[in-house]
Amino acid sequence: MATIAVPLGGQAEGHQADAVQRPALSEYLRWSVDHKIIGVQYGVASFLFFIIGGAMAMLIRLELWTPELDVMVSGAAYNSLFTMHGTVMIFLFIIPMWAAFGNFVVPLQLGAKDMAFPWLNAFAFWLIPPAAIVVLLGYFVTPAEAGWTSYPPLSTLFSGDGQTLWALGAHLLGISSIMGSINFIVTIFNMRPPQMTLWRMPLLCWAVLATSIIAVMATPFLAGALTLLLLDRVAGTTFFDAAGGGDVLLWQNIFWFYSHPAVYIMVLPGMGVLSEVLSVHSRKPVFGYRMVGLSSMGIAFVGFTVWAHHMFTSLQPELRIPFMITTMIIAVPTGIKMFSWLGTIWGGKIRFTSAMLFALGFMSMFVIGGITGVMLAALPFDIHVHDTYFVVSHFHFVLFGGSVFAIYAALYHWFPKITGRMMNERLGRIHFAFTYFGFLFTFFPMHIVGMLGMPRRVAVYDEAFANWNQLISFSAFVLGFSTFIVIYNIIRSYYRGPVAGANPWRALTLEWATTSPPPVTNFADDPIPFEDPYGYGTEASVAYLNAVEAAFDGRENRTILD
Amino acid sequence: MMTSYVDRQEKPKIGLDRDAALRLKNNRLGMTIFQASWIMVFFAIIVVNWQLRFSYVQWPPAGVAPFDLLLPSIATLALLLSALLARRGWAGLRRGRLGEFLASWRLAIFLGVGFMAIIVYEFATVSEAALATQYGITLRLMTGFHFVHALAILAVMLHVYRGAGAGAYRGGEHDAWAIEGAAKLWYFVAVAWILFYVVLYWIR
Amino acid sequence: MEDNRSNTPSISPAAIVVAAVFIVVSAIGINWFTSFVPVVLPAQASAESKSVDELFYILVIIGGVVFFLIQGMLLISVIFFRARGDDRSDGPTYHGNPLLELVWTIIPSLVVVFLAVVSFNVWSQNSEPKAAVNMINGEEIAIKVTGARYAWTHTYETGQLDPDGDPIVINSGDALHTYIGQNVDLELRTQDVIHSYWVPAMRVKQDLLPGNPATGGRPTEIRFTPIRVDGAEYPATYPIVCAELCGDGHGRMRGTVVVYEDEQQFLEQFYDPAIHAILNPPADPVLRGEIIIQEYVCHSCHVLDSLGWTSRTGPSLNGIADRAGERVPGQSAEEYIVTSVWDAAAFVVPGYTEQMAQFGPDQPDTYQMDAEQLYSIVAYLCTQGEQSDCDLENSTTAIPEAIQTVFGLEVDITFGQGDDEATDAEV
Repeated sequence: MATIAVPLGGQAEGHQADAVQRPALSEYLRWSVDHKIIGVQYGVASFLFFIIGGAMAMLIRLELWTPELDVMVSGAAYNSLFTMHGTVMIFLFIIPMWAAFGNFVVPLQLGAKDMAFPWLNAFAFWLIPPAAIVVLLGYFVTPAEAGWTSYPPLSTLFSGDGQTLWALGAHLLGISSIMGSINFIVTIFNMRPPQMTLWRMPLLCWAVLATSIIAVMATPFLAGALTLLLLDRVAGTTFFDAAGGGDVLLWQNIFWFYSHPAVYIMVLPGMGVLSEVLSVHSRKPVFGYRMVGLSSMGIAFVGFTVWAHHMFTSLQPELRIPFMITTMIIAVPTGIKMFSWLGTIWGGKIRFTSAMLFALGFMSMFVIGGITGVMLAALPFDIHVHDTYFVVSHFHFVLFGGSVFAIYAALYHWFPKITGRMMNERLGRIHFAFTYFGFLFTFFPMHIVGMLGMPRRVAVYDEAFANWNQLISFSAFVLGFSTFIVIYNIIRSYYRGPVAGANPWRALTLEWATTSPPPVTNFADDPIPFEDPYGYGTEASVAYLNAVEAAFDGRENRTILD
Repeated sequence: MMTSYVDRQEKPKIGLDRDAALRLKNNRLGMTIFQASWIMVFFAIIVVNWQLRFSYVQWPPAGVAPFDLLLPSIATLALLLSALLARRGWAGLRRGRLGEFLASWRLAIFLGVGFMAIIVYEFATVSEAALATQYGITLRLMTGFHFVHALAILAVMLHVYRGAGAGAYRGGEHDAWAIEGAAKLWYFVAVAWILFYVVLYWIR
Repeated sequence: MEDNRSNTPSISPAAIVVAAVFIVVSAIGINWFTSFVPVVLPAQASAESKSVDELFYILVIIGGVVFFLIQGMLLISVIFFRARGDDRSDGPTYHGNPLLELVWTIIPSLVVVFLAVVSFNVWSQNSEPKAAVNMINGEEIAIKVTGARYAWTHTYETGQLDPDGDPIVINSGDALHTYIGQNVDLELRTQDVIHSYWVPAMRVKQDLLPGNPATGGRPTEIRFTPIRVDGAEYPATYPIVCAELCGDGHGRMRGTVVVYEDEQQFLEQFYDPAIHAILNPPADPVLRGEIIIQEYVCHSCHVLDSLGWTSRTGPSLNGIADRAGERVPGQSAEEYIVTSVWDAAAFVVPGYTEQMAQFGPDQPDTYQMDAEQLYSIVAYLCTQGEQSDCDLENSTTAIPEAIQTVFGLEVDITFGQGDDEATDAEV
């Protein structure tokens, strides 16, 4: 066994120092072109927005505790509240949060020194704070109150200046997203080490590639739609005003041509994270690697053909059926991923780390979102539950049960690499329990109130749904509380967590073949990736992992310098 | 299995070190993706034009005279010629002929300005009758939206041209990216305009 | 890599036993869950609801199988494939199984095809136009629904004429009246933003789209046929809900479907009395105003206890006559109320925003209100209060004068029962 030669590339030498230097915290507050700094900047900023959006969700649930309007001063105030909740969570939390993990992890997984365009990378990030300020400022003038979907004419003829600011902010965020995605695509195509063919690339990179392709092709449609909305609002055009020859469905078409693929922008990276985490923590290769990678592309492609299912109650009836069919087809590549993940953990040696728990939680919850997705695709049933709490429940199962669980899994998985210290696993498990059950009991009952007749986006509702809503609100508060556990865990672990060492999970992908956190140039020289990013269980992989450990001198002797 | 460890590092291109070669490769791919991405906005606006036609029984709407074809066609020809000249200048510089580059780009920029002048005229002289309908409004949207891009990219071309005149580029492959990039952006303007031109003036 | 293909993970007999138990449990679970269908869906009050619920049943069974399959495999995995004790070794190097991958591509594809076919059948069955719609007294009539922020207005174009030759149109406000077996076919129009007309008990929903009034608007259609619900008492009522965000009062934009047992009950309890009331309006302007004010969307924003209105988007109308005299200096109570109905922006009550619709003779559809209707409404509102500021003794002169002062319009108050001349003059 010892005879297996393990070439690691140049990083083995010259890394025997006793201590690892962490970037000073002030580094994160200024302009930096280092992808690792930018990644953390994205991450911390998005997490702050998660807390803001979450606080709004708590207010929403407080208002819905009773069937009457009591917490908010008016229905309009409630409308602007959920408008901001949706906007913040989608544009300022989930999408930039994946840019965070993508930025930090992808160049490392590719063995690259940085992203292809470091300056553009920083620029894309620094568009977010001003955009966020513009969007949030809108809340304090006459706030946008047309929902995050901003259907005209409610968003054009019947809304205040906050709507204009909303559109401007979303515009900037879209441009930031396009620039970030161009960067990812070029990095993934051009910056791989020569030994790493596309088919030997970690699945997170596949997912980020698929996501970025969607983002560059779809986000321009959002830019187009927002341009028209702004023109209608400030320049007096009538693109969405029927009295001037415009068409209200025009917005719905263009908006959803972006916003449905945007759902995959929010979920696909999470699926990439899942492939990594499940494989590493169950010590088994990803089952059907090619199909998992290809299904990302399949979802990306089919995702462009389904947008009008958001318009099932407004589209001409004869156009509805084709979109029902394309929507149902999406279930097939999604199913492939689901079964492949089950195949991955089946027969493995599962370690119940916090990252793994959240990955398993993703599978357990996302499947519900998948099932209700097919139910919603079934046109006659959708007609009944369209625009109801059933839909609210469905997309939270996809975007919370999916994206957020995956974000937590990614956080617990890569936190050691980012900070050099481990997170507290015990707190992680407590966090998981609160999140899992809080989430389940918040969103599952929403299916039922939706089917019984409760529309979405209402501050007042029929008294018959009061008991259900109290259960939902109570669970939502539990879910809200769970966030404090992870915040405490992050802060505590950053300063006091055990030193992680280069490769605490004994993972094969390249980001673990350097110190934690990695030096500014990531690797001393071009690293050589292991032949198979998920080839666990072979003698060669054990030899490689031992060599990595030896090269970085184990974890005991390391100290972290701030 | 050990074959995967064989170093398949590409040989560096002649005259370029490895990092510079990678940068150029990145720039080129990045530019291609940007073009593919941003042209989608123009497609989105074409979709807008297309869907709005269905709010009317006929297109152009009743009582609105169709746009005159002559001036926009001249503008289109000027822009196409300008793009070809930009290409010729870039190719010249790659071969180290600065004079050829400057002459071609001077003309290209001149034609570009001419194109934009005609577009401004078109934008400004839409008839009242047309402006009362989406026929005129979408013309303003499309010409205006395109104009913003043409203006910004012409400014880039002018900047590069003046830099080249001041001797910032020595010619040859290695530091002509600014010129290549500006030229490719200018093609983008031309392609986007041709799409708009066909939709606006030819498809009725 | 290839030599590890044969290294299949071994499954312990215990796992098989658990799997078997699990299949039995999930079968019972699905059966138990489907017994909840009546609990999670409203009453089946239309022919359409039957087939939609059958589709739902199929979706729940297939979804349930997928749900229990995946959760079960997850459960088995976490129980049997956990690393025990201090086992630090890796799992088997098993990269995949093309046959298995093919199976879990093809089976879901077949399921998807099956669901698409079933859904398509239900859809084409439900969306097929029916013959003989909106039959009343053996004739098809037009029933129109107008959505305006934040109320539904239903109008029945009866096809009958009043003695003056004007068409009789019944306005039933936010209630749709129908009877079992009537093929309802509604024409939906909106006056402002997008609304969505949803009757949960009928499983139907359709958006109302703003259109260009110059080209006839953009009407949409919704169709359903009420059926008998076991155990219901007739006339039975079901909620109408607005499902598309339309602004401040979206949550309150509700209505009622009143289903009568048969056409005869429908005619006796709704249709004939409504026509009778139109042909014989009460002579007392207060009584007339009480009827007319309920045909408008006022209730969607205002509180008025005497009519059971509860919405708080706009200021309360309780006791309005007590305050009307002091609101605007120099305006009498009558003048203030007259102004507030037609030109609400002239004075916005502190604490509220300017968002009330414009009413008047030139306004569209449900906002259209002529001076005589205004007169009646003001007469009614003048009675809302304990010590009304209005001159109740001389309301027949005070209100017309107020209308004359504020809007410069003559009001002919001599209309009413059987006064043909006055009505002619009005036309």
